[in-house]
Amino acid sequence: MKPNNITNPHLDEDIRRKSRYLIAFVLVLLGILILRLFFMQIINGSYYEELSRNNRVRIIPIPAPRGKIFDRDGVVLADNRPAFNVMVLPEDISKPEDISRRLAPLLDRPASEIMQAIHKGKSKPYDPLVVARDIPFNQVAKVEMEMFNLPGVSIEIIPEREYLFGDLGSHVMGYIGEISKRQLEEKEGLGYAPGDLIGKSGIELVSEDNLRGVKGKRVFEVDAHGQRVRVLEEREPVPGRDVKLTIDHDLQVIARQGLGDKAGAVVAMIPGTGEVLVMESTPGFDPGVFAASLTVRQWKDIVEDPMHPLENRAMRGAYPPGSVFKVVVTLAAFRKGILDPDATVFCPGHYSLGRVIFRCWKPEGHGNVDLVEAITKSCDVYFYTLGRALGIDAIAEVGLQLGLGAKTGIMLPDEAPGLMPTRAWKRKRFGQPWHPGEHVIAAIGQGYTLVTPIQVAKAMSAVVNGGRVYTPRVLSTSEPALERELAIPRRQVDLIRRGLQGVIEDAHGTARSLRDKDISMGGKTGTAQVARGYVSKLPDEADIPYKYRDHAWFFGFSPVENPEIVVVALVEHGGHGGAVAGPIVRDVIKGYYLLKGSGNEQVRQDN
Amino acid sequence: MSRYARITENLDWGILATTAVLMVIGLLCIYSSTSVVGSGIFFRQLLWICIGTFFLVVAFAVDYRNLMYSAWPLYGAVLLALVLVFIIGKEISGARRWIVFGPFRMQPSELAKVFVIIWMAYWAEKKKHILIHGMRELVFPAVVILVPVSLILLQPDLGTAGIVSFIAAGMFLLLGIRRSTLLTVGGLFLAGLPFLWFSLKGYQRLRILTFLDPSRDPLGSGYHAIQSKIAVGSGGLIGKGFLHGTQTQLRFLPEHHTDFIFSVVAEEWGFLGSGLLLFLYMTLITKIITVGLKAKDRFGALLCFGIAAYFTLHVFINISMAVGIFPVVGVPLPFVSYGGSFMVINLICIGIVLNVAWRRFIF
Repeated sequence: MKPNNITNPHLDEDIRRKSRYLIAFVLVLLGILILRLFFMQIINGSYYEELSRNNRVRIIPIPAPRGKIFDRDGVVLADNRPAFNVMVLPEDISKPEDISRRLAPLLDRPASEIMQAIHKGKSKPYDPLVVARDIPFNQVAKVEMEMFNLPGVSIEIIPEREYLFGDLGSHVMGYIGEISKRQLEEKEGLGYAPGDLIGKSGIELVSEDNLRGVKGKRVFEVDAHGQRVRVLEEREPVPGRDVKLTIDHDLQVIARQGLGDKAGAVVAMIPGTGEVLVMESTPGFDPGVFAASLTVRQWKDIVEDPMHPLENRAMRGAYPPGSVFKVVVTLAAFRKGILDPDATVFCPGHYSLGRVIFRCWKPEGHGNVDLVEAITKSCDVYFYTLGRALGIDAIAEVGLQLGLGAKTGIMLPDEAPGLMPTRAWKRKRFGQPWHPGEHVIAAIGQGYTLVTPIQVAKAMSAVVNGGRVYTPRVLSTSEPALERELAIPRRQVDLIRRGLQGVIEDAHGTARSLRDKDISMGGKTGTAQVARGYVSKLPDEADIPYKYRDHAWFFGFSPVENPEIVVVALVEHGGHGGAVAGPIVRDVIKGYYLLKGSGNEQVRQDN
Repeated sequence: MSRYARITENLDWGILATTAVLMVIGLLCIYSSTSVVGSGIFFRQLLWICIGTFFLVVAFAVDYRNLMYSAWPLYGAVLLALVLVFIIGKEISGARRWIVFGPFRMQPSELAKVFVIIWMAYWAEKKKHILIHGMRELVFPAVVILVPVSLILLQPDLGTAGIVSFIAAGMFLLLGIRRSTLLTVGGLFLAGLPFLWFSLKGYQRLRILTFLDPSRDPLGSGYHAIQSKIAVGSGGLIGKGFLHGTQTQLRFLPEHHTDFIFSVVAEEWGFLGSGLLLFLYMTLITKIITVGLKAKDRFGALLCFGIAAYFTLHVFINISMAVGIFPVVGVPLPFVSYGGSFMVINLICIGIVLNVAWRRFIF
């Protein structure tokens, strides 16, 4: 840079001198690049051109085996089995028609279908494409025999998800399926590719990051015809990490047998830790069919099924709690200090509020009842009185503290919040004030209140364990999460538990048929009205159409002192709680002791 | 003489023309490399060039000496943006670099590069009585520079942090540093290298190791390097022609409209094309340095030298990466790579240089 004469004199000489180094520096750097380019493009150009013309390196990703899912005792619930997929690399197929025609009889499917599959990959000729998934072994043999005639076609062994117990526990397990566009965007940068299988619901979704593992790849060279010449490199996939659940598979089986072909849900929980032992919802679905091979027809059948098999009723189904809610009202009355457990209420079979009459479920009435009797006999009038005295807001406060009407925080997707109504809520929602009669019916769990079975399990666990509210959890690796401590006085817990014990063991208990001399057990029936008023007009339950029948609730716990297990069952349109839902709960509790191998010598010998 | 005539007469047309030609080459390559997926990216780049030109005019119109007074406020703004990245930034592939406003995303670390140049020039102007700097004088500016650099390292964005430090170091050298101080600082840096290595993320270490031995991992992080080299080399003397680069069109080359756009130039236009591109950069950069030499004050001169260093580093690192003599770091090619905020910032730099050139006769 010579024009020193016009350079500004204000710039100090020192910097001007040094800036020559800057120019030299620039020239040297760019000179290096020019030399390098000359070397690559002119001297070695033909070498690189050869490489680019024969860019015959192909990469086939090897999916990682997904982690297994175990129950709490190590029973394998979800595993992988080898499956054979027929893949094509569109780039290496010169005549798709020929290949399709040759493949069709081997795979026993129309050539047009295979053609279509190959065409789909036209825009991405270097991405391997699956044309047939999970083919039987005899077809594998046939295709292998013809391989020399099928350039660009390969058979890859792929780990396919296998759910060992079909639709049992399917809602907790969830399923995997082909990754959606939205998931691909959300997971940008995490190594997902179109066509990958990914957790879509349940544990498969929640623990996706643990379960998925790391893909491997096989790199090989192909010749000009697309035939594989040799493997250049192989990187083994890293299998996904296993996941252990808190679920007890054997109890799950018992719960399922109890539900039979009825629609409903069973939840069992350890009240002292929040561990979920059973979460079963019926009808279930076979999670295995979703792993990509699902046809449109199969999908429609599942989605359009009027029984909604995909719905996890244990946490998605929100129902009125029915008389189970009386436990919550009792606790609310204790906490407000308005309850004298020894004082009696006279039940004439109905309760009048102004000109409106609310019936007790027992038309002839219960006579004089105290708290324990009221719970045992499920006397509606007693609780109407409490509800009137408390008001909905006081009831809701305790309900919410116990976790009713809000998501429980269980780590499974799509939980329903249910509803714990308050005056403020009604004003906002309907623009109407709360009517006095609504306090009354809310006290027996009818009206606006909606709860899910998992919420009931959480709330009842807290009541029977003395007020410790634990977040329910299904992963055995997570720590017990104590949400809140209500510190219910010992005497109050005892009274409530005695009332609940009476439900089963007292001669007048509403579920006395469940009594089992070997097991100390308490519980509460519940009937969630579906169509109010309809029931009373038809004397015989069997005459009521299915969809108008009441939902049956039952919650049980055992032993009465220091409960180890809480079980909640809900049977949709099951009629009265004790008769349908009760036996399921009793069987699960019996099963719990039987599997524990303690507390009952008789059972152990039978085993 | 009318004001208009004065503007056109003293404007550095050479710099403007070179910039324009570079942008046209960039547009052609973006068009070619994204032709498979449609022309959306091409038009977006065109839009960004328009936006950037507007900013260029602003950067040219306002007397550059105003930048001197805004050095500290700008510095504060950059620090704020760099901190904001950690709070509201969008995480992509494990690094938090972007701030997203609706459809726009911005990398505050890009801004940091330019503001460091402005701050250094400001500092040089202020301390003009000191000719040779010793350790004591260096502590303050070093801390000022290291704060944004550390924030960028935390994102982590190794490439940008390196470029910012390099620009700052270059400007210190221009200003003059006592020899003993230079040796001490250099020694400290070498001693710190092992710590730097262990603070790198797994993928960053992998990239450096792969660079040292590409066959280590031909399909993982070595894949970019190998495929890019094949693309560049196979261009030969005259290239495969516009839209005919097989590496590009058949998608062997990832990120070919952003960080690997040079491979598109080299593959489709051959040695002639890539040589022309390098010649254009050389012209542009030496012109910027010349403007600096003629500048009427130390501030203007150092702005130009800093900007020249900034372009040089980007061009060198980006192309070195494409021809396999530098590890793969995400550094784009000025005026050619696709990228909105990067384009705007580059054009602002050109605006500042034109500003310095034009105002050298006005006192």
